[in-house]
Amino acid sequence: MRGVLTQLQVVHALLLRETKTRFGASHLGYVWAFVPPATWIGMFAGVSAFFGRRLAPPGTSVLGFLVTGIVPFSAFRETATRCLYAIESNKGLLFYPQVRPLDLVIARVILEAATNVVLMALFMGGLALYEGPPRINSLFEVLIGLGLVTGLGASLGLLCCSLAVYSRTVERVFSVVMRLIFWTSALFHPVESLPKAARNALLFNPVAQCIEIVRDGWFPSYDARHSDVWYPLAWILVMAFFGLSVERMARRRLEVA
Amino acid sequence: MIELEQISKAYATHKGKNVVLDSVTFSFPARTNIGILGKNGAGKSTLLRIIAGTEHADSGQVRRHGAVSWPIGFTGGFSGSLSGEENCRFVARIYGADIDEVVGFTADFAELGEYFYMPVQTYSSGMRARLAFGLSMAIEFDAYLVDEVTAVGDARFSEKCRKAFLARSGHSSVIIVSHSLSTVKDYCERCAVVKNGKLVCFDSVDEANSFYEAAS
Repeated sequence: MRGVLTQLQVVHALLLRETKTRFGASHLGYVWAFVPPATWIGMFAGVSAFFGRRLAPPGTSVLGFLVTGIVPFSAFRETATRCLYAIESNKGLLFYPQVRPLDLVIARVILEAATNVVLMALFMGGLALYEGPPRINSLFEVLIGLGLVTGLGASLGLLCCSLAVYSRTVERVFSVVMRLIFWTSALFHPVESLPKAARNALLFNPVAQCIEIVRDGWFPSYDARHSDVWYPLAWILVMAFFGLSVERMARRRLEVA
Repeated sequence: MIELEQISKAYATHKGKNVVLDSVTFSFPARTNIGILGKNGAGKSTLLRIIAGTEHADSGQVRRHGAVSWPIGFTGGFSGSLSGEENCRFVARIYGADIDEVVGFTADFAELGEYFYMPVQTYSSGMRARLAFGLSMAIEFDAYLVDEVTAVGDARFSEKCRKAFLARSGHSSVIIVSHSLSTVKDYCERCAVVKNGKLVCFDSVDEANSFYEAAS
């Protein structure tokens, strides 16, 4: 029981410290979390307006379609990337015996999950101000989708940062995987609109399924019949299982440094 | 009280295994200052880190009764972008100590002035060491583990450190590793020597010294 309490103390302390190092570096610290997804959305909204082509399916606005795609994707990427460097950038803290590598990751996951929820709320609130009050299908489904992308990011980040203890090549593979996921997450077109072969290939990507779930929750007319909750959840469990196993093995290797 | 049971530790080198500790069994009594002498590379810092729990032995067990400090003298446990004060708050939190008390004591002890509220990366190595030492004194431990090799400071500051330990000697113990006999003599009632992977204990510092000298 005392062990659990100590671990809670450690994670709490790390969480406060992470908040300060992540957002406290400049006066506009919190704003910086907002800038990357906003830039992407602005860029693609501009492109689609310029070409005058409607990317979004009927019953959805272009902006709404982009927000519900890019915000969850960027939540996934940000969570995974922050977790990937959780051990590397806090190695010095492992000097204190009660701080375990896993705690460093857990603290970052909690901070990212909170950031993701706030960002999603801000973007959706902004959208509502701009386009008038939305007719949300199911807020619960939106949150489920967001929770799943955060979980995917966290479990992938945990697995990769534990593997990175053994080989830094993991970081390069990671950035390739991120790019692959970016182009196969159906950010700019609904999965339903694709030819069957492409659609089936795309649905192997769990992030694409989560984004479909978010959109299904947001737009009453959206059709996400090809996605389900269990597929991304299975990915999360498998990656978390291997991530936790590798983290245990990596502990010994880390302490020598 | 800290008990070591059959502690072994080896590091892999390109020439094969380098055995640093070879099934060391020892018991450090409570409220007793013990010095551990050893040449460079004899394994004394490794031993200290294993006692602290920063590092794990390849085999064997460490039983700690009471709160044991981290190896004091180390200055890398600070995050450079945070101020001395923020670092103190973090450490106080992970040890479940009273934050204001720890911050107040450390600010007073480390004598950093305004620097206490500036990022640690702007500190000199002496300032970092003073912060590290002040912080470790601010938290109540039953055993303080000190790695003398890395604990620096001028004569006046080391006198201050000595007094701080003396003030605690009624209820805490100090385990200090060093390669200098005079440090050990200053602090410790008993003395042990790390040699060839074994820990040999002596009742007086002088006895230990003759063994230590003979070892060289």
